[in-house]
Amino acid sequence: MTETKKARISRVGGDKYLVFDIEDVMSIRRNHGICAVLTGTMPQNPTQNLFLGLPIELRAEEVKLLVDAGAAYVVDELAEHLTAFGKSREEQQKYLDEVKEKRVLAQRAYDEEKERIRLLHIDKVMAAKKNKEKRKKDGEVGEESSLFSEEQQEQEQEVVKKEKPLPGITPTTSENLVAGMSHVDAVVEVPDHPFYPFYKKMNSRGYFTTPGLRFGGDYSVYPGDPFRFHAHYLANAYGWNEEIPMLDLVTSGRLGTAVKKSFLFGSEQPAPTPEDEGDVRMFCVEWAGM
Amino acid sequence: MPFDDDNDNPTLTPSFPSSSTSSPSADPLLQPDEDEDEDEDDDAPSHNFLLFKKQPNISAQTIRKGEKDFESHGTLLQSSALEASRNAMQEVLSYSRVHASSGATVKGWYFPDRWKDYVESKDPEGKSWGHFRDRVVILDGSNTSTQNLGRAVVGQKKGTPGRGKDWLLPEDALYLVERGSMELWWPRGGLETVFPGGEEPKEGEEDEYAKGVPVSLQGAYALLIGGEGERGKISLRRFQVYSNLKRCGYLVVRAPPRTIEEKMLEEGRRGLWEWLSSTVAGWTERKPAAFGPLVKPGLYRSYAQIYRQMALIPRHKPLSVEKREEMKDPFGIHYIVWKSAHKWSKLRQPPPDFYLSVVDAQETMVPQLGEISGLIAATPPAGPKPEWTGPGRIYARLKHGHRNALIAVVDHGVINYMRFAEAAFGEENVTARFDYRKRVGGPKHGGWRGGKEVMAICQLEQIYNYVI
Repeated sequence: MTETKKARISRVGGDKYLVFDIEDVMSIRRNHGICAVLTGTMPQNPTQNLFLGLPIELRAEEVKLLVDAGAAYVVDELAEHLTAFGKSREEQQKYLDEVKEKRVLAQRAYDEEKERIRLLHIDKVMAAKKNKEKRKKDGEVGEESSLFSEEQQEQEQEVVKKEKPLPGITPTTSENLVAGMSHVDAVVEVPDHPFYPFYKKMNSRGYFTTPGLRFGGDYSVYPGDPFRFHAHYLANAYGWNEEIPMLDLVTSGRLGTAVKKSFLFGSEQPAPTPEDEGDVRMFCVEWAGM
Repeated sequence: MPFDDDNDNPTLTPSFPSSSTSSPSADPLLQPDEDEDEDEDDDAPSHNFLLFKKQPNISAQTIRKGEKDFESHGTLLQSSALEASRNAMQEVLSYSRVHASSGATVKGWYFPDRWKDYVESKDPEGKSWGHFRDRVVILDGSNTSTQNLGRAVVGQKKGTPGRGKDWLLPEDALYLVERGSMELWWPRGGLETVFPGGEEPKEGEEDEYAKGVPVSLQGAYALLIGGEGERGKISLRRFQVYSNLKRCGYLVVRAPPRTIEEKMLEEGRRGLWEWLSSTVAGWTERKPAAFGPLVKPGLYRSYAQIYRQMALIPRHKPLSVEKREEMKDPFGIHYIVWKSAHKWSKLRQPPPDFYLSVVDAQETMVPQLGEISGLIAATPPAGPKPEWTGPGRIYARLKHGHRNALIAVVDHGVINYMRFAEAAFGEENVTARFDYRKRVGGPKHGGWRGGKEVMAICQLEQIYNYVI
């Protein structure tokens, strides 16, 4: 594999991080153990909430991990788009060409699908025609004229089809619109997140995380891609000197047991010098059946 | 991890080195379909245009087949199952939104500042609140998805470009783009270039991009998502809740600002008498003596008389009157929601089924009493259903409460809905049933001799009296 391209993370609404490019989504899932959350409506199937579509929403600590690893850059998407839309038509030509090309392809796909369905039903159509001809031979009056007009209609339809404009396309990303723009200008610093060391440690051990809201912690932690595994832990991050009430352990431990997970908590021991990375300690609480 | 020796295969180790130079698909063993894939890659266009095909049978099962495993055991079977899931996901999500050429395509044009200075007043005809200042996309054309969305701004002079067209709120526009029902366009000129008066010239292929640029999904998010409460934008978490409910089939409308709900206030005035009488009733209630027995010694024929004397703590009484408590951020009513109903029009809406507040899971604390009562006070009285009578439905009544508001908690795209209701335990007079039981009485109903028991209590009280 050649040098992978950096994933583009769109910052919208001030502090939300989204990824729109499916290649980027797959590469951070495959190579960096981040599955994040699919949040968009799937255009193929827009009335269900079981499996959603692009974009994915990343947590701030996931963004920081990717940026620190040199695998992604963050862009203020609004500023970038306002500049790009304000440009002259010539400068937007690449994007417009892409849209045009996709429209042609979409038309081709549409036509092929239509042809496939036509072939699928061709037997029935032929049978129906034969039937009609047979009836015509039998001397039924009135059939002839209707058959004739049907053919005429078909011809007319074909003429109309040729004049039809190409279908419209909404591209998923503005890749070609914003391409070549000085990314460096729009690149955004990612603020430090208090949970970052904790998250980084889990990620480095190969654990996947999703938002903890489902099970009642900061994170739900999976031993691999959530496609294949159930979550093993519900995890909370704390400050190193933060006092943890006993009751927190009991409630979270009980809650974890109730959803068949064990409760994991951890924190980063501050490093002696700012350059060093602190040591992250983690503990796991399980209910003992005594 | 068991079978950890096989470290030279990157897919079998659970770590994700960013410098990894081999992708999982590099291993031919994991990709039995590798040959077919390559064939498709050679013929790039034919591979590409598959992505415009709508696959109607997509479900969560397409992507995640079979049972999940407990943990990674490093087998090829497991990694190929994962790879299959990932490939299915990639294929499904690579789809581009196509807008059919048949019929009029629905277009939305982005004019963020058209109504920015619009002053909206309470509509005298009882129409719902329009949020016109926030309407930033003008709708051209219509289909089944747009029919309940958008509002026309009345009072525009004849000949104004775009007069009579519907304007969309940012969440409506983004939702339509996302479900593939509308093309969003960035205009090159003003409204008059997009909607020139008179007969529209037949669009030639060449002129298509003269008026504007089609906006991508990414561009639509960039333009329409903003901070909390920003004019002409929608915050990401509110949009996620909005689209989640829309996908479920609910009708979701931005809640009108609190200050204009005068209609509700008028209804409240009618209830003023009720409120007055309730406070007066509170005063007239007997105050228990500072000392002495709680229940005065004497002969009692019913439990009700005794329990009335024992009621020390003032009970909460839900009022049908508007309470006018301030809502405190972030707990405000953001959306009003209806179950999908036949009788619904965007101008004249029936009373909403739900009132919804959207908050962030990480930034928000559990609401304080003031916050939650402010939120609940902002909703109209919604008492238990009239048919829920009798002792059998007591828990249904308590659970339902007298007013309620939903809070949607959003954690990075994962949403959890909670319902907060104003319960009134004081309204449920359980003691009345004791007397009732006495009358029905009889050994079969488990009733004891009520009268005897009343006496017993009195004796106890008398003993208590002696002790003091």
